[in-house]
Amino acid sequence: MTPGRAPARRRTELGLILLAVVLTGGLYALAGLGKAGNLPANIGPFLGVIFALLLVAHLAMRWLAPNADPILLPTAGLLNGIGYVFIARLSTQEARLQAVWTAIGIAAFIVTLRFVRHARDLERYRYSFAFAGIGLLLLPLVPGIGEDINGARLWIHLGGLNFQPGEMAKLALAIFFASVLVERADLLSQATRRIGRFLVLDPRYLAPILAAWGLSLLIFLAENDLGSSFLFFALFVGMLWVSTGRAYYLGLGAGLFGFGAFLVLKVIGHAQTRVQGWLDPWAHASTSGYQLIQGWFAIASGGLFGQGPGQSNAANIPEASTDLIFAVIAAELGLVGAAAMLFAYLLMVGTGLRIAVRCDRPFEKLLATGLSLIVGVQTFVIVGGVTRLIPLTGITLPFVSYGGSSLIANYILLALLLRISHDTETPARLPDAAGTLIGADS
Amino acid sequence: MNRQIRLVGVGIMVLFVGLFLQLNWLQIVHAPALEANPLNSLGVVKEYTAPRGDIVSADGVTLADSVPTNDEYKYLRQYPTGALFEDITGFFSFTYGSDGVERTYDQVLTGSNSPFKLPTSLSQLRTLLTDHNRTQSITLTALDKLQKVAQAELAGREGSVVALDPRTGAILAMYSNPSFNPNLLSGHDQTTVQASYKALSATPGIFSPGAYRQRWFPGSTFKIITASAMYDHQPALVTKVFPTLSALPLPDTTNLLHNFGGEVCGGALLELFTVSCDTGFGQVGLDLGANSLNDEATSFGFDQTPPIDLPFAAQSYFPTAASFAQDVPGVAYSAIGQQDVQATPLEMAMVAGAIANGGTMMTPHVLGHVTNAQSQVVSTYQPKPWLQATSAATAAQLTQLMVSVVDRGTGVAARIPGVAVAGKTGTAQTGTGETDDWFAAFAPAAAPTIAVAVVLPNQPSADEYQGGTLAAPIVKAMIEAYLGGGTAPVPPSTAP
Repeated sequence: MTPGRAPARRRTELGLILLAVVLTGGLYALAGLGKAGNLPANIGPFLGVIFALLLVAHLAMRWLAPNADPILLPTAGLLNGIGYVFIARLSTQEARLQAVWTAIGIAAFIVTLRFVRHARDLERYRYSFAFAGIGLLLLPLVPGIGEDINGARLWIHLGGLNFQPGEMAKLALAIFFASVLVERADLLSQATRRIGRFLVLDPRYLAPILAAWGLSLLIFLAENDLGSSFLFFALFVGMLWVSTGRAYYLGLGAGLFGFGAFLVLKVIGHAQTRVQGWLDPWAHASTSGYQLIQGWFAIASGGLFGQGPGQSNAANIPEASTDLIFAVIAAELGLVGAAAMLFAYLLMVGTGLRIAVRCDRPFEKLLATGLSLIVGVQTFVIVGGVTRLIPLTGITLPFVSYGGSSLIANYILLALLLRISHDTETPARLPDAAGTLIGADS
Repeated sequence: MNRQIRLVGVGIMVLFVGLFLQLNWLQIVHAPALEANPLNSLGVVKEYTAPRGDIVSADGVTLADSVPTNDEYKYLRQYPTGALFEDITGFFSFTYGSDGVERTYDQVLTGSNSPFKLPTSLSQLRTLLTDHNRTQSITLTALDKLQKVAQAELAGREGSVVALDPRTGAILAMYSNPSFNPNLLSGHDQTTVQASYKALSATPGIFSPGAYRQRWFPGSTFKIITASAMYDHQPALVTKVFPTLSALPLPDTTNLLHNFGGEVCGGALLELFTVSCDTGFGQVGLDLGANSLNDEATSFGFDQTPPIDLPFAAQSYFPTAASFAQDVPGVAYSAIGQQDVQATPLEMAMVAGAIANGGTMMTPHVLGHVTNAQSQVVSTYQPKPWLQATSAATAAQLTQLMVSVVDRGTGVAARIPGVAVAGKTGTAQTGTGETDDWFAAFAPAAAPTIAVAVVLPNQPSADEYQGGTLAAPIVKAMIEAYLGGGTAPVPPSTAP
């Protein structure tokens, strides 16, 4: 298609992508100056590559989802770019890999847009997604391929590649939850029975939430991962509440999670030390509180405007490119930069939720809500963990942390949201870019 | 569902507001407390890892430089000349802080004191974005060749050598034994550094350079000040002929002030000074009185911290006039630099320098000039007077007396053919059978360009002229190295 026919949204997107490239390039230049006193030697190729990657994604949008929201892709590109700059500032080797992962992520983004022509098609495979999701979640427990990293069993190891299957599982489960909950929403919202003066829950309708609770407990228990466990359960309870409108599910979910967490904490050493490090980091400053305290020191050193990219001393920060990357960013960009980053995430979540609100097909609506919720909750869990609002758990900061599984999964998530957006914004009975009639059957 | 979806949005917003508030607390409200936390090494490391400029001797030898490393400290501070300049450069250590020039000129070396300049070209724009080029190098006034002479002449003996340019106060050499190699403390392996520090600490006073942080009895070198007091306070004494004695009876006591080794001496000032007559100067002290002596000592910088640009300089000590109220004999002993009088080698070099400079004592300094990373001179030390120790007329008289000491008196060992050297010996009894042996001098007497003081403390006492036999040759070697040897003397940084 020719640029002249491109909807205004795509032109907006291209403009925002240029802005994201300029911001990322500027940050990369500053980080090079800050660290070595020289402009990075590869600044030209660097700008070329990020622009090319985002341009390819943008052209795919023009081709496959021309009516979709124009903000999500540039925002993700910006976060990805900022993340890359900080990873490059910490480790050149990881930066090289992250560049490859970014390219694969954008390929996955395009493949998803190409093959998921309508989000509602996914509904047909709900049980496949259910199996895939649960299977992926439990994969690290399989002897021989599962791997313990930092006391949590989140990884699988296949032929030299490490992979965190939980990142993909959250997408599969969001699709499954959306399709099941939409179908059962009416039933589940009638789950109370009046006995005398009291409304009580009908035990039959408790089954789904108890099943989800069980799965989340299993992840917590077997894989020692409070972060993912919370993310899955919050995703399910959130979607359950959105689909039924029954607030007691929220209360019930909170209660169940609290009770479950309490039980597991009694049993598991790793989770216990994490919580100790959270409740009283100073008493465990060299052990379970070390990560948190070093992160705090880094964040505090940032002040209002930060020390400047590449200028802080990140040598003491453990897991600086993954779990604690936000601490490095806060140290070098300051409160202003860290807050701007939080705004970028809020923008993504808000845009995702707006897509959900505008969509009028229940499955896609609920799916868009679930996907937005994943981004919001995951960001909150890791940033809240680093700043000690909640216990610190090993979970990635979407689009920013080093890691291939996370980056690929988040680009697929982005593609699904944009697919739903395009479907919603495409007027019924008008030919879309591919020339097929869509929207006629909704 | 839309209502719930909007509420989800509100919920996430609330969570993020929580994050934002927590960030505010960490980065603004609680940040000072976190930065002050003893567990927080970020600040210390940041200070320690700031790049530093070099320290260079006046004759162009690199004394301290930083080489990049791959560890968290980023740069290793190195001292290519080892212990030779330790008195002046000091050291720069992560564990034990810093000393010497590294300490006084820390901000100059890191460039954190360099004024902000608006960039006028694209390449300067870069300096806005990074502090990488802000380091500045310091060129000292001290000369590598003189330090080497001082080190060689002391030949491992405990002692200090201080040489300065009397016209400017520029320190030309400052070397003390014991000394140590500052590389031992600047290393990055803290276990090794701590072990080195512990081993060094076994030598008392090793971290206090004798040249400006330790003091000894100045003995007869103090007679320069006593003689000066005669001209300034009681000119009649200059022509008085003092009785020839081997022991001076003292008031209020049956004790006698004996000449060292039972020597018999007396006469007028020139004679007393040339042979360093203790009985004569004891009487001079009694004639002058405590007030005049204390006054003159203060004029020459005693009981004040010398304003040298090195940390923790010691004061030289002369007792208050009131402290002699019950101790009149003490005045006689103080006039010959004994009893409680104590001086640093730096002070005695400055005393000789004041006489050499027409009575004006210049502010002592080791800083020559500062250059930026582009090798441009940023600033040059401007010499300034510290004290008007005495009048030009008195200084001229004292010069004659001191020339006589080297010419035919106790300081003949410092004689240099073709150069008039003015000096004064000192052989102070420490009360333990040992002597603190001194020589303070300047040359050439007509137009002095160098003043030197040497002390060899706690020497086994073999004869009464050890200041002349042990210390004077070192001074001679220093003056020769500076004035002769085919190397033209370094001109002062500004015309006097």
